[in-house]
Amino acid sequence: VSRNASDGLRLVAGLAAVALITLTYTKWLHVSNPAIVSATYLMVVLVVAATSRLSVAVVTSFAAVLSFNFFFLPPVGTFTIADPQNWVVLIAFLAVSLVASNLSAVARTRTQEAVGRRDELARLFDLSRDVLMMTQSREAISILARSIARRFDIEFVAIALPRESDWDISEAGPRSMVLDKTQLDAAFVSAQASLEFDAYARTYAGHRTMTVDGETIRLVPLRAGTKPIGLLAAAGRPIEPGTLDALAGVVAIAIERARFLEERKSAELTRQSEELKTALLASLGHDLRTPLTAIRVAASNVKASWLSPEARGEQSDLILAEVERLTRLFQNILDMARIDAGAVATESRWAHPSEIIAAARDQVEHTLRNHHIDVSIDPDVPVRLDPRLTAAALAHLLENAAKYSPADTTITVVARIVDEGLSISVRDRGPGIAHADLPHLFERFFRGAETKARVSGTGMGLAIARGLLAAEHGRIWAENCPDGGAQFTVVAPAMTRETEAAGSPAV
Amino acid sequence: MTRDARILLVDDETSIQRAIAPLLRSRGYQVDVASTGAEALKMVADRSPDLMVLDLGLPDLEGTEVCRRVRATSNLPIVVLSARGAEADKVNALDLGADDYVTKPFGPEELLARIRVALRRVQSEQEAKTGMFRAGDLAIDYDRHRVQVGDTEIRLTPKEFDLLSLLARNHDRVLTHRTILKAVWGPNAVEQPEHLWTLVAQLRRRIEPDPANPRYLLSEPWVGYRFSTGQSNG
Repeated sequence: VSRNASDGLRLVAGLAAVALITLTYTKWLHVSNPAIVSATYLMVVLVVAATSRLSVAVVTSFAAVLSFNFFFLPPVGTFTIADPQNWVVLIAFLAVSLVASNLSAVARTRTQEAVGRRDELARLFDLSRDVLMMTQSREAISILARSIARRFDIEFVAIALPRESDWDISEAGPRSMVLDKTQLDAAFVSAQASLEFDAYARTYAGHRTMTVDGETIRLVPLRAGTKPIGLLAAAGRPIEPGTLDALAGVVAIAIERARFLEERKSAELTRQSEELKTALLASLGHDLRTPLTAIRVAASNVKASWLSPEARGEQSDLILAEVERLTRLFQNILDMARIDAGAVATESRWAHPSEIIAAARDQVEHTLRNHHIDVSIDPDVPVRLDPRLTAAALAHLLENAAKYSPADTTITVVARIVDEGLSISVRDRGPGIAHADLPHLFERFFRGAETKARVSGTGMGLAIARGLLAAEHGRIWAENCPDGGAQFTVVAPAMTRETEAAGSPAV
Repeated sequence: MTRDARILLVDDETSIQRAIAPLLRSRGYQVDVASTGAEALKMVADRSPDLMVLDLGLPDLEGTEVCRRVRATSNLPIVVLSARGAEADKVNALDLGADDYVTKPFGPEELLARIRVALRRVQSEQEAKTGMFRAGDLAIDYDRHRVQVGDTEIRLTPKEFDLLSLLARNHDRVLTHRTILKAVWGPNAVEQPEHLWTLVAQLRRRIEPDPANPRYLLSEPWVGYRFSTGQSNG
């Protein structure tokens, strides 16, 4: 439309120029020498022809010839051509229009082609950048299809990858079409069979077309090296074969990259799980053997006849406590596995901070026996969060505080409502955390270098606390208090009655 | 004397203390308990126990270090409790002078047997300081390099005699391969355990009533050998 409008405008300008020259020469300057007048008209025709379409130039030529004839050629005031020389003038005008507008048309086409190429190059570049930014290997192919449709304004794009006897097809674009699998098979087989370079189109041959509902779909083989790995289908806006080929190249690279990422990820997972196993076995070695030994010896003590009733009770208590310890260890391993699998389910309920703290203390009652727990809650109003996960995470912090601070010292627990939700901090009066250990504190199986020998443990507790908090979208951090001791804080996103009423969850 | 022997139990795990102390008391031993290496060393000096049961994983000192320090001043029998699967710690402790080891998790009888054997060693050492050694049918005359099984004199090569007398002088203790190799062949032989396997096999054929089921020269798999004076191998 804009094209026609600008042509119309040029036509008007051309005609106006012709009229202006006619007026100037007849009314004001009174120039009547046909040679001068014709040269002036020719200039106008040339300019119009060079800048606009042939039709515009021809119309302008005719206007110029007619004006010349009417106003300047004798007999002036008629359209009669007395002198055959004037035919020559007319033909010259038309010839100039033709040649000039053709030349300019060629130049314009060239420019448009260059602009088009630059445009497609830019699109290809953007696309390859999209490819490089993709980190999600599983989603990569469909993201890629979407990105091609968007970047190249194509109505329909599909990436078809062969899978056993079927095709995995990811499509994108505003239109949806059903690809004929038999034709996909045929195109793929021929791509496998031959690899020909088309020197004229500067592309690899093997482009095929497929017709679906009267619409032509172009199929381009995707090649990793020379081996075909799939097909790219496109329909809608025509795209040059060379561009299509380059596009297929980018897609093939992207698919290879996605596969590579997938493989690397699974290799990484394998490595991590190997490391996990090793660390788990090492820590289990000690943490299983000690309670097992105690249980075995205590159980046979109970069975022996030499025990006094109190001693027998004491041995039974020991067995129960050690079974408790094993149960907690087992629970930890289970939690760890659940966190690893991303299978921690959250379930929000209303609960009082005091309930959460009490539940946490219950879970590690045995460990806390030799410490004073000082709890302050401000205010103890109901909060909506997952109390089970929060309590489990808190239990690990309490256990940790008890294990790493001397017996008979105080552990301070402070619960507060903050903007983000519920904050609970656990502070001990122990030696604090070694500076070098701080960054690794929440890593699985990490044990502080100095405390490792002194305190038994598996290095799972804090990692689990972090995993549980992460499932709640909460935070956890550790710091050393200026006046000694370590402080761990958890913040779990939670609503209070107030924030609920205000309709703005404190998340 | 077995009945009123004093045992020092060193383990930082209260659960182990709470299970084992009553067990030992029930068998007539007097029991002292220590939770750290420093405490243990102090008690060895103050209470002069007859035997120490020592856990290798202590909070303050490495268990092996406790072994070394105790051995520097006394002949106190040490039975090591090792919770680590690794043989290295155990062997290390034995090399540093521990008598025997039990690996957690262990049963009560296993520990009691090791304690009995270790106490028997000290007992017989105190009884006999002579140049003669007897165990069952076997008699060794250290001074004259003579060995008898029943009434029959057994001819041994010098190496065989060295090995037998080394094990017999340390009877009822576990001697590590390394210790034996060093003592019999010299420090350069410690990496060549095959010498030892061959020599032990020869020696068993000479002195054991049934070489396939030895009663004197017992193997401690992957660790070393022990000369047993008891009827059972504990």
